[in-house]
Amino acid sequence: MRVTLPHMGNLCIPFKSIFQRLDIDYVIPPLNSRRTLSLGIKYSSEGLCIPFKLILGNLIEAAELGADTFLLPGGYGICRLGYYAKTQEQILHDLGYKNIKVVEVVVSNDQLSGPSFVKMIKSLSNNASWLKVASVVRFGLSKLKALDQVERVVQKVRAVELVKGTANQLLAETVKAIDQADDYRALKTVQSDYIDQLNHVAKDEQVRPLVVGIIGEFYVLLEPFASFDIESELGKLGVEVKRRLFISEWTKFSLLPNPLKISERDQLYRAAAPYLKRDVGGEGWESVGEKVLRAKEYDGIIHLAPFTCMPEIVAQNIMPITKEKIPILTIICDEQMAKTGLLTRLEAFVDLLARQRRTHYNKQLGVV
Amino acid sequence: MKIGIPRALLYYRYDLMWQVFFEELGAEVVISPPTTPAMLAEGSSRVVADTCLPTKVFLGHVLSLVGKCDYIFIPAIRSVTKDGYNCSKFLGLPDMTQAVIPESPPVLEIDIDVTRGQRQFYQAIYQLGKHFTWDPLRIRRASLLAWQAYQRYRELMSEQKLTLPRVIQRRGEVEGAVCWPVAAPVRATIALIGHPYLLYDEYVNHRLIYRLEQASNRVVTPEMLTMEELELAATRLVGKAYWAYEEEIVGAGGHYLQNGADGVIGVMSFGCGPDSLMMDVIQRQAARLKSIPFMSLTLEEHTAEAGIVTRLEAFTDMIHRRKKER
Repeated sequence: MRVTLPHMGNLCIPFKSIFQRLDIDYVIPPLNSRRTLSLGIKYSSEGLCIPFKLILGNLIEAAELGADTFLLPGGYGICRLGYYAKTQEQILHDLGYKNIKVVEVVVSNDQLSGPSFVKMIKSLSNNASWLKVASVVRFGLSKLKALDQVERVVQKVRAVELVKGTANQLLAETVKAIDQADDYRALKTVQSDYIDQLNHVAKDEQVRPLVVGIIGEFYVLLEPFASFDIESELGKLGVEVKRRLFISEWTKFSLLPNPLKISERDQLYRAAAPYLKRDVGGEGWESVGEKVLRAKEYDGIIHLAPFTCMPEIVAQNIMPITKEKIPILTIICDEQMAKTGLLTRLEAFVDLLARQRRTHYNKQLGVV
Repeated sequence: MKIGIPRALLYYRYDLMWQVFFEELGAEVVISPPTTPAMLAEGSSRVVADTCLPTKVFLGHVLSLVGKCDYIFIPAIRSVTKDGYNCSKFLGLPDMTQAVIPESPPVLEIDIDVTRGQRQFYQAIYQLGKHFTWDPLRIRRASLLAWQAYQRYRELMSEQKLTLPRVIQRRGEVEGAVCWPVAAPVRATIALIGHPYLLYDEYVNHRLIYRLEQASNRVVTPEMLTMEELELAATRLVGKAYWAYEEEIVGAGGHYLQNGADGVIGVMSFGCGPDSLMMDVIQRQAARLKSIPFMSLTLEEHTAEAGIVTRLEAFTDMIHRRKKER
């Protein structure tokens, strides 16, 4: 048995540590590339969304490396993601990988998936004790958390660094270091070390960068390949990016028990309620809520969605009518997207935001 | 009180049920006329381009009802079977309609989520009925009658193998139901699988059923199978199905590929999330079985009539030839 899982941001790093510590034979598929995408497109039906195609590409590339057990997202109450696993299993089967096993990881919001996740990991391990599995999963989660902490700082530094690309380079080093960290202490040192380094990067202290919030569908938000690393591109344009969604934020509520059912999402739901009363699956409800809630905080919002994404289309149709106004740029991600096109749109959007801020400032001064 | 029902999406499944319910409660039901090109154009102009065709058609129908009724009935159906789940578009429909058509009459909403339990379900019906009467017994009676009417209509379709327009015609309501005799002698049976709102909307599908029947083919649809047959076939293909209406499509596809048809046409609209997966499942099954021919037709605003006609002719010719050779 050789386990694998698809990429989504840095998701493979915590899983790698879980697999290593439990002596599970695993293989991490090669990072997303043109080839991954081409494979995904070739073997899936045209109407499917980009997350499906990239994940399928990952699975095929992993299968080529001998993987036979696939950890895939699934579950009830979300979008078509719930059916990914079954369809992908059939596609791999038709491609000639007959002896494969698909293990569904339940990712539903309103279900307590923590115990079932630990149980799933235990079933993969060679009869490790519950205690060991739980502690290993916990360590994996703290790696995830450390990664996300550093990334939050990187988002700030990118906008104001003098030498563009420094923060990204440090982030790449952090990912490597966190991957190699063996215990909590090492993890903590790595985290504070790199945050320190990031804080000492040469910055333009005068500038007050534009703040753009990134909202939208989970996968395209978290997997830089799907959006041509839009956050770095915005950083190059001197924009500070804010994003609510991090994998660790999300596991906090869906993986661990939450008896009081308190979550930050409720705030979003309340904000969205006047315009969208019910959960439409995926991140549709959250997208509307975030627009309403953050209209005052951000200069602009970039809304990312895969082509034909059902929940995000609903959100996209509803967002323009909210009373809380803020410029929104919706970017539809699919395999036809070209980097130049994306950059032109981003530049235009950032110009618009800069002008808006200037006008606002002049108005305050009474110069207009 | 006049209740407007757009002739789109779930109308093609629950029209009778809704009509009986509202009329029983003393309301007058106004149904929008069959789809016209202008309706689709107006509906499309209100939403972002990637919205799927059926939703655009739906909004066109809502627009055509503006000024003709006091309320518009738009349910938000989350699940119709336990642990079933529906496409986001159905869930967001009431809110989306109000957002993009601010001039629409007030929307009558109902949240149907069977997964949350019977109590919630009855409560939802009661909330809807309260707009018309304070009497819970009257609401109960109306909903029971509506449910019976729905059951009768399902039975009629599955027992007598009738398409929806023919059932409507039987009901004695000629308006809106254009029917024609099948050109005899019947040369082949063709299964059309897809959502009812694609199969029965004559404008959207360019008179698909009419064309097939004029070419001496008998047409069978998912509704002509019993729930048990559908479930059995669907379970064979995808295990426990989780989508509300797509189970029917997968089940019908799986069933007709193995018995009861000489060819299967899968009809889907471009950009349909659930169908992008479900049609793929059927296509793969067809390729694996190699039993009868399968063709997939994707409909969108730009689908040209000539293109559809050519493909249909080629497909039916092939089936007729295959039958003759045997």
